[in-house]
Amino acid sequence: MRSTIRQITAMSRTTLLSIPRRLAISLSMVGSIMLVVCVLSGFLAMARGFEITLQSAGSPDVAVVLGGGPREEGNSEIPPDVIRSLMATRGDIGVLRNDRGVPILSREIVVPVEFRTDPDAVGETLALRGMDETGPGVRAGVTLSSGRPIQPGTREIIVGEQLAARYSGLGVGNRVRLGPVNWIVVGHFSSFGSALESEIWGDIDAVAAAFNRVGEVQSLRLRLAVTDQIDGLSRAAAEFVGAQLIALTEAELYASQSAGTARLVRYFGWPIVLLMAIGATAGALNTMMSSVSDRTVEIATVRAMGFSRVSACLATWLEAVLLSVVGVGLGLATSWLMMNGWEASTMGANGTSLAFQLVVGRDAMVEAALVGLAIGAVGGAVPAFAAARLPVTDALRGRG
Amino acid sequence: MTISETNSPFIALSSISKAYRTRAISVPIFDNLDLSIEKGEFVAVMGPSGSGKSTLLNLLAGLDGPDSGDIKIAGQRLDHMGEAARSAWRAHHLGIVFQFYNLLPMLTAEENVELPLLLKPFPASIRRERVAKTLDLVGLCGFGRQNPSRLSGGQQQRVGIARAIVSDPTLLLCDEPTGDLDRASADEILTMLGYLNRELGKTIVMVTHDPEAAEAADRILHLDKGAFVERARVMS
Repeated sequence: MRSTIRQITAMSRTTLLSIPRRLAISLSMVGSIMLVVCVLSGFLAMARGFEITLQSAGSPDVAVVLGGGPREEGNSEIPPDVIRSLMATRGDIGVLRNDRGVPILSREIVVPVEFRTDPDAVGETLALRGMDETGPGVRAGVTLSSGRPIQPGTREIIVGEQLAARYSGLGVGNRVRLGPVNWIVVGHFSSFGSALESEIWGDIDAVAAAFNRVGEVQSLRLRLAVTDQIDGLSRAAAEFVGAQLIALTEAELYASQSAGTARLVRYFGWPIVLLMAIGATAGALNTMMSSVSDRTVEIATVRAMGFSRVSACLATWLEAVLLSVVGVGLGLATSWLMMNGWEASTMGANGTSLAFQLVVGRDAMVEAALVGLAIGAVGGAVPAFAAARLPVTDALRGRG
Repeated sequence: MTISETNSPFIALSSISKAYRTRAISVPIFDNLDLSIEKGEFVAVMGPSGSGKSTLLNLLAGLDGPDSGDIKIAGQRLDHMGEAARSAWRAHHLGIVFQFYNLLPMLTAEENVELPLLLKPFPASIRRERVAKTLDLVGLCGFGRQNPSRLSGGQQQRVGIARAIVSDPTLLLCDEPTGDLDRASADEILTMLGYLNRELGKTIVMVTHDPEAAEAADRILHLDKGAFVERARVMS
């Protein structure tokens, strides 16, 4: 056993020391694996970043009531009489109430609006959310980072930090045109980088009036008395049979929204990565066959001395695996340095722009590393067997 | 493994047949070839290209097998061994000297010489000691750390010989050991092989095209069209 280990060690050493003779093709293998790792970790970082952004926007302390059946705000509708009935409910439905015993809720609608940085620029669709004065307070973790709150009934807006950072035109004090009317930016709000920061908030009546949607309410936001305890509100919502109300926590709402998009990113990314991986595996196989060809005489010489086939096989395979380890290492380092925290944006709910940060997390790195290592392991297997089966006499004769 | 001490020859090839086959044709190399070599003999094998010299060495080294016939070396039937057993047999009983030295260019001279010792259960200290002694024996004391590319042809072949004998094999197979050397270097190598044969008792089978090199052997075998023509020769 010791002899076998010494043989494998010695052959692996000679194999690795001979890499400078075929540096270019070895680097091409490292590069192709690095590329696959980068692309895969990029897709996974995108999916994970999107998930984190949306999930962090949703709080288990906040309940969302939607009407009409769907689990998304865009197609939801809550009749006014239902809102009045809910506000008049006296029983314990598990939500916080004000001094008068009325549930603290915010009526909300979301309107996609086109925003242009200048009149000739291509417009970008942003989410303008109309809400009651209670809206910011109902939400957990939202703070005003600059400016002041909106005055009810006015065309004033506050803008999420991420949007404000992206568009200089959304600075505090600026007048911006959203839809048919002008609005004044009176403040910026922060929510720890969550998806909420990709929204613009205004007064619900002003927003509804500006977009000809007076009286419409898409969702209700309420603050739960106990975290994640939504049963009381769900039971109350179920009593409004005709309105098809659904009560769920904000965390559940955003998780269901993020799951679909993140799954789409992964489903789109994996086939591309697998195709690239197949190409990289073919490249690795070619590289390692070149290695065997380059080392033919050396392999034959030590085999003639009595070195085993296993040592020739494993040394070749180890070279492939080590080159893939280098490729994986460089790929992970590159993707982490270049992509982790990188700002991206995509279409969120209602077709509006949603900013998020790519997150090259541990799971993404492990998955990408395993794919990279698999390329080396699979691509090196056939050449490793070729090294083991090398006809020694032919190889030695060829030297002469 | 034990070496047979019976009266049978050290190397005994009997009724060896060997042909190289392609899909279309079969090229016979040996047909009922017999050969006996005693322990401690120094035998040179000469013959024109294609006469079967290299094939004979490959059969003796266990790198190739006969189509039929027996190969017995040191009492052991090579033709009955599997691939792994023949590798192990080579590791313990055989040293090979190549025409083009076949040193591994990325290793130093002493690392090249150490390679066969890795097949044996020696600790590193013993391996280092044996490598140093063997390099000293072939006149390369102080050259151990040199890379082969920095050595002359004659020195490289001496490293090759050191590598072949470092594990103290009973049989040395030399494939044109002077074929790539000038006359002076060739003479040094032949002197060294003669020393290994006479003083250390190594059995040597040397394939060569060089009649002067063959003169260093006890016996010269002429191989022609797969058959031996033997000429007796007495060492002075």
